[in-house]
Amino acid sequence: MTIAAAERPAVSARDIVKRYGGVTALNGVSLDVQEGEIFGIIGPNGAGKSTLFDILCGITVPTTGSIRIMGNEIAGVPPHHIARSGVARTFQRTAVFAESTVLENLLFGRHTSFHHGVLGRIFGSKTFAGDQQAFQTRAEEVLTLIGLDGERHRKAGVLAYGVQRRLAVGIALMSDPKIMFLDEPAAGMNGRETADFIALIRAIAPGRTILIVEHDMAVIRQLCGRALVVVDGKPVVVDAPHHVLSHPEVVTAYLGADDDE
Amino acid sequence: MIDSKQVGVSDRKMSGRTAREASSVACALIVIAVFAYTFSDPFVVTLAGYTCAFALFALSINIILGGVGEVPLGQCLFFGVGAYGAAIGMGKLGLPFQVSVFIALILSVVLAAIIGVITLRLTGAYFSIVSWGLTGVAMVAATNLEEVTGGPLGLFGFPPIEIGPLQLSDPQTYFAVTATILLLAILFLVALRRSPFGAAMDSVRQNRHLARSVGVDVARVRLKAFMLSAPFAALAGALAVPYTQIVTPEVFSVANTVDGLLMVLLGGAQLVVGPVIGAAMFTLIPQAMNLDPNIRILVFSSIIILIMMFAPGGLHQLGVALRDRFGGKTDDDRSR
Repeated sequence: MTIAAAERPAVSARDIVKRYGGVTALNGVSLDVQEGEIFGIIGPNGAGKSTLFDILCGITVPTTGSIRIMGNEIAGVPPHHIARSGVARTFQRTAVFAESTVLENLLFGRHTSFHHGVLGRIFGSKTFAGDQQAFQTRAEEVLTLIGLDGERHRKAGVLAYGVQRRLAVGIALMSDPKIMFLDEPAAGMNGRETADFIALIRAIAPGRTILIVEHDMAVIRQLCGRALVVVDGKPVVVDAPHHVLSHPEVVTAYLGADDDE
Repeated sequence: MIDSKQVGVSDRKMSGRTAREASSVACALIVIAVFAYTFSDPFVVTLAGYTCAFALFALSINIILGGVGEVPLGQCLFFGVGAYGAAIGMGKLGLPFQVSVFIALILSVVLAAIIGVITLRLTGAYFSIVSWGLTGVAMVAATNLEEVTGGPLGLFGFPPIEIGPLQLSDPQTYFAVTATILLLAILFLVALRRSPFGAAMDSVRQNRHLARSVGVDVARVRLKAFMLSAPFAALAGALAVPYTQIVTPEVFSVANTVDGLLMVLLGGAQLVVGPVIGAAMFTLIPQAMNLDPNIRILVFSSIIILIMMFAPGGLHQLGVALRDRFGGKTDDDRSR
């Protein structure tokens, strides 16, 4: 299935197939995510959402099919190179650097923007001073955005779960990415945390393209302009969330398979 | 790494920090000088020199253990390369000590590059076991290449070991040289920890996948750390030669690596000076208590178990905890 393409989609996938031995996890998924869009990927457990997600951000190589990010084919490009081209992602479980402080986490997120070396650090070179200045400015912005201004010196591992997720977004934001992939960002959050999180995503959305794989329908409904439903590795429908959720095939496949939603 | 603690802190405090570091270096230099020239017992001074050499080895192990989070059971391979390099260069080729050591250092880096490319694809126990296996290969080679290595008896009977005018056979000079090299190594590693590469290592150790997602080339960072750790171990091996005066295939024994690992665990892996504290304890305690080598292992195994139970961060963590308890400091104070 192909959606009407605009000039240059931020993320575009064509006929993605992924087989693990005899199991077909994904079977012919195509999608186009326009620049500036918040795009949702939903589906019941085991539908292939996470596989699709990992393929789109270059962690997993598809059996066949092609992915373009900002018009560039990503086949054969190592994940850290994709990350350096302005693409950031968060993880479902291993979200933060638990042993480090909030501020050090943000520092790690800034990795690609540092230009000074060990000698520059020893002798306090201009490059080092510039890097430090840029890091401080960006860190203050991000700390305010994610609401962790007062927690900067606390260890990430001791923070509440919902707060860790906000920090994970903060790490991703440090490189000021153009495209962000969020893997089940609201999983395991309580109602209050989810509401805070939705507000955070809204605040950072302008000027970015955001892809969200999510289980929580409320999140998709409140954030996404369009959502793709994947069932049994096949794309079912792409549309505005309220249309998607009333689509007959989605109702039977998705809601029938998962009582919570 | 850029010192994250400095964000939002005034310039005055930053220069205070630098001044404190400069004064610690000055203090260390004074301690080295005083120790080297006041202690008259040549045995104690030589042992202190050897401790400094072995502390370098512990630092090398800690680049991998505390840096990227692998347990380098094969690190004595590079220690052996340094020791044999110095011994073969001096004894067989008639090269000056420093030239032999320099060649050995280069060799160790090349060897680390080759081994690293192959073994660093593995992680956890797999990496440890394969690297341990390679030291077995080295031991067999050293035992059998009699022409080069002297076989099972090893190499001994070196000409007087000297670096230019510095006679390493003189205990005080030996100590001063090894201690100064150790100090330089510590300074370098402190700067390394705070550099972007140090931050990259730390992120790789804590969470490889997340590190990759923020643009860290995980494989490259691991390889660079491995290649960086090798010359430290080789230097340690070479600087041990003036003390041991003999190099046998035993240098490739895993017991050697385990000694270094124990030092790191004793002192604490998350701090650059941790392994140095550990090395000092590791050589001083048996000396002071006049322990039999077999009992030594028993004592240290027990100490390690106690440390792992009550202070997983090593003696350094224990020291900080005690200071905070009696100095009335809270977590919050410390983070400032």
